[in-house]
Amino acid sequence: MDLVLNIIISGLISGSVFALLAIGFSLIFGVARIVNIAHTAFYMVAAYCIYFVTHKMGSHPIWGMVAAIVLVTLLGIICYKLFINPIREHEGAVLIATIALAMAFQEIMVLKFTGTFLSVPSLVKGYFAILGVKVFYQQLLTFCVVLLVMAGLWILLMKTKLGLAIRSTAQDREVANLMGINEARVAMLTMGISVGLAALTGAVVVPLTVLEPHMWLHPLIMMMAVVVLGGLGSLKGSFLGAYILGFAEALVVFLAPMGAFLKGSVALSIMILVLLIRPEGLFGVSFEEER
Amino acid sequence: MDLFLFYLRKLFTIIKKEVFVLPSRIVVVLFFILLLLLPVFTKDLYLLRIFTLTSIFAILAASWDLLSGFTGQMNFGHALFFGVGAYSAALLNKYAGIPPWGTIPLGALGAVLSGLIIGIPCLRLRGTYLALTTLAFPIILMGIVFALPDLTGGELGISGIARLAGSRVTDYYITVVVMLGLCTIMWKITDSNTGIIFHAIREDELAVRASGINTTRYKLLAFCLSGFFAGISGGLYAHFMRIAGPSTLEVSMSFQVVIWAIFGGIVTIYGPVGAVFILFPLLEFLRFWQELRMLMFAVVVLLILLYMPDGLFRWLRDKIEKECPRCKIRNVAMRHTCRVCTAQLD
Amino acid sequence: MERWEKRIFILAMVFLFAVSTFTVASGQDTIKIGVIGPMQFVQGIGQWNGATMAAEEINAKGGIQVGNKKMKIQLIKADSNEFINPTDATNAMERLITRDKVDFIVGGFRTEAVMPMQDIAMEAKKIFFGVGAAHDELCLRVAKNYNTYKYWFRGSPFNSTFLVRTSFVHLGTVGAILKQSLNLPKIKVAIVAEKAMWADPMIPAAEAVIPKMGMEVVGVWRPSDKATDVTAELSAIQRSEAHIIFTIFSASVGITFARQAGELKIPAMQVGINVEAQKDGFWEATQKMGNYVFTMNTYARNVEQNELTKPFVDTYIKRFGETPAYTADTYAVIVHRLAPAIEKVGSLDADKLVAFIENDVSKGPSGTVAYLKDAEGRHTHDQKWGPGYLTSVGVQWQDGKLVGVWPNKWKATPEAPEITYKGVMPVKIPPWMIEKYKK
Repeated sequence: MDLVLNIIISGLISGSVFALLAIGFSLIFGVARIVNIAHTAFYMVAAYCIYFVTHKMGSHPIWGMVAAIVLVTLLGIICYKLFINPIREHEGAVLIATIALAMAFQEIMVLKFTGTFLSVPSLVKGYFAILGVKVFYQQLLTFCVVLLVMAGLWILLMKTKLGLAIRSTAQDREVANLMGINEARVAMLTMGISVGLAALTGAVVVPLTVLEPHMWLHPLIMMMAVVVLGGLGSLKGSFLGAYILGFAEALVVFLAPMGAFLKGSVALSIMILVLLIRPEGLFGVSFEEER
Repeated sequence: MDLFLFYLRKLFTIIKKEVFVLPSRIVVVLFFILLLLLPVFTKDLYLLRIFTLTSIFAILAASWDLLSGFTGQMNFGHALFFGVGAYSAALLNKYAGIPPWGTIPLGALGAVLSGLIIGIPCLRLRGTYLALTTLAFPIILMGIVFALPDLTGGELGISGIARLAGSRVTDYYITVVVMLGLCTIMWKITDSNTGIIFHAIREDELAVRASGINTTRYKLLAFCLSGFFAGISGGLYAHFMRIAGPSTLEVSMSFQVVIWAIFGGIVTIYGPVGAVFILFPLLEFLRFWQELRMLMFAVVVLLILLYMPDGLFRWLRDKIEKECPRCKIRNVAMRHTCRVCTAQLD
Repeated sequence: MERWEKRIFILAMVFLFAVSTFTVASGQDTIKIGVIGPMQFVQGIGQWNGATMAAEEINAKGGIQVGNKKMKIQLIKADSNEFINPTDATNAMERLITRDKVDFIVGGFRTEAVMPMQDIAMEAKKIFFGVGAAHDELCLRVAKNYNTYKYWFRGSPFNSTFLVRTSFVHLGTVGAILKQSLNLPKIKVAIVAEKAMWADPMIPAAEAVIPKMGMEVVGVWRPSDKATDVTAELSAIQRSEAHIIFTIFSASVGITFARQAGELKIPAMQVGINVEAQKDGFWEATQKMGNYVFTMNTYARNVEQNELTKPFVDTYIKRFGETPAYTADTYAVIVHRLAPAIEKVGSLDADKLVAFIENDVSKGPSGTVAYLKDAEGRHTHDQKWGPGYLTSVGVQWQDGKLVGVWPNKWKATPEAPEITYKGVMPVKIPPWMIEKYKK
């Protein structure tokens, strides 16, 4: 019985992390058609930001989180303005610009903090037990934050004017422009929200993990798998896809302990299988080919 | 003797009429000559090593362009072909004792097979879906490599395989000649009917299908061709480094290829090749400042893209050559009239 | 746009010029030693620090006596970037040899990169001391193809077979202590090994040896070496009621595992190899949760393998502010093996030096080093393990300090003399474990 519970908890936690990352990624893709490889690099920068605030300046982790979210969001907008906006018409160029950005962030972190493994204190220490299964408070916090952010995002997208603008731009950029929506501004704001989500993920997840400059690669792959599985640009899809892959990983770890290292491969295989049946992902809209 | 003179004269005419009229062609010829003559000027093992590796990666970058540039099938997992080529060459050499001239083509066939295997499910996907899905394949294969350590050597890779050739100079000539040959073949392919269909698929798949062409078959063909060339470069790499390890399958490898190709300018073949010849030695050159090496590399890529989003070589070519508005033939930028139809160049 | 064209043209010219005129002047009045490793990571930093200390020490004495002249040491640093890109590592190696024209090379870490690096050094007939990679294959190559690979020597650590053997001894020691002080009838062991090639052969070995030691294996877990969450594994281990967790970690999972185990207060001792726990930064990295983790190590503060240990460890700590890691054995390699060999042979000739070093027995701060032959009497250039030679030490994190706890009255065989290194302390059992089992 506690095996089942274990699987559920572990699946929910990793699924939530994937969901937060994937939704940010999906959002900017939907609105601006930018495949932002640097998305998880922002997550890494946020993590280091917290480390800097708590260890080098000695402040409480909560200040680290606030600083990380604000600074990284700003950084995201600046990077967008400087490097992505000028070449937005060239899809390929944007792609490798984001790869280069991610590499640059990684190298800056290596220079500043070397490749040593670091960690930051959790916001809430300790754990509690449900039916004999130990769960960190931090994990619970992560899960709650994900739900809160989801709700917040839903309100933002569905109930506000900005949300309307974002949704209409995502649907048809040109028509949205014709309707008087400042498409460039919407794209920039969406970039800010998207990067802010990445930073937030970094902020809640990093106390559970180890910091190193290459920590962006693994979540990047899982995040992309989630997004593709759920359907590009579909937030609902990303949400569901995240939990599917999270549970897939948890199942592998618990049912095949010798093969725990295969959890990534198994999750990716599931993604490919789903795509074989539904090429546009679970909730993707199969756009008519944009011509 | 007369016949010989005739051909010599013909060669001269071709060089004069076809090569010297366009700076880009002169550059290509110079590039060939310089590469082939490099060992005459220097026997520096370090330089030879760098240019050998550069040539190997040039094949890889060009093969990516053939698939993703021309056909528009964004492949983010090109390391798969490279890794399969490297691993199959290494396995064949180690366990079956086949020498490199046999293992490399066979390894490339292995890569073709993997191209088919991933090509078939990927046919239904397009654009970003395809890109992000293909990213997963090398990682899955890496999981398999780790799961079968007895066969694949796990994270150590397969070591102790035969050298490409006896000496570094021979290694150099083999890879450079293979590189020049394969890149010419790839360029010819893109210039042929097949290549035009590839290009058309990129521009408008629906229209191609409407013209009665089986686009599925052509897309698969592109996967296989690209897999073949990438597989050859993987095999060369394995035999040159004498190890085929999981690093050939890593995500960074796939990203590297994309960076090279887009940096040089896609849909050109020469663009990615030239980009590798700039970026790979650049990374070595930056060793004078070891700590900042990768950062500077990333910044260079970012800055150049900012000013030349279409790629360095397409930008350069547009600067030194103009296309005639009437007959679409390229002319030196200094000319005011087209060299063929004498139309005014703007 | 004009401006840019010019700038790029100039840049391109500068670049070409620099590439074509990249030559390094070479004069043979110094001995050049190349230090190659992942210089932005702890391993490479250790290699460089150790080598720096060695060079400073030797140069302060005026250098190495080669024949009738004194030669100073010049170190050349090469960042191999091998964790990210093994191709880069081979280029760096080639550059060291052909451009910087080094005489000797020390370093290397990731085995996938060290193998091609080894090939390059062997081709150039340069003596290459591997400081970092533990895989047996590196030395088996010497036995199989002596004439090609004889220039390779193992510098540190000793090979993985011996690493396993030592960690079994540690397991047995801790098992005995637990059994005695907690009155346990039978010790249960959970094996947790990161998924990596070097750990693979250790698992069947452990499964075979542990029952013979009178303990029981309750399960094997293989998390990824970069796993960032092992709560799943930890829950399963707790359910299995293991008393000892036999860890085989070399990468970041060592931190994650120790931290989460400590935070969840899993009632079991962690014993084995946990490379991250060998570093001073481990305490901070686990947020003080890595308490009571036991691991094998090469050096420990205040533990003396022999009279050379203390001066080395103390100077190193004073100079670099941390305990030397095993990659800092570049110091021992240069000062205690290479330099005396050069002085005794009286030349820098690689073949003569190889013939001398492989038969030499030298004392260094981590113990006495002798090079082995395999069963058929072929040289392997691998290091001898055992009492009187290299043994390594066992260390445990006790309230923020990494203290040496092994060998403490250790007998390698029933007849062998007891060994206790100066400065070792008793092993401590986690209080939450005592609490659970004392009742």
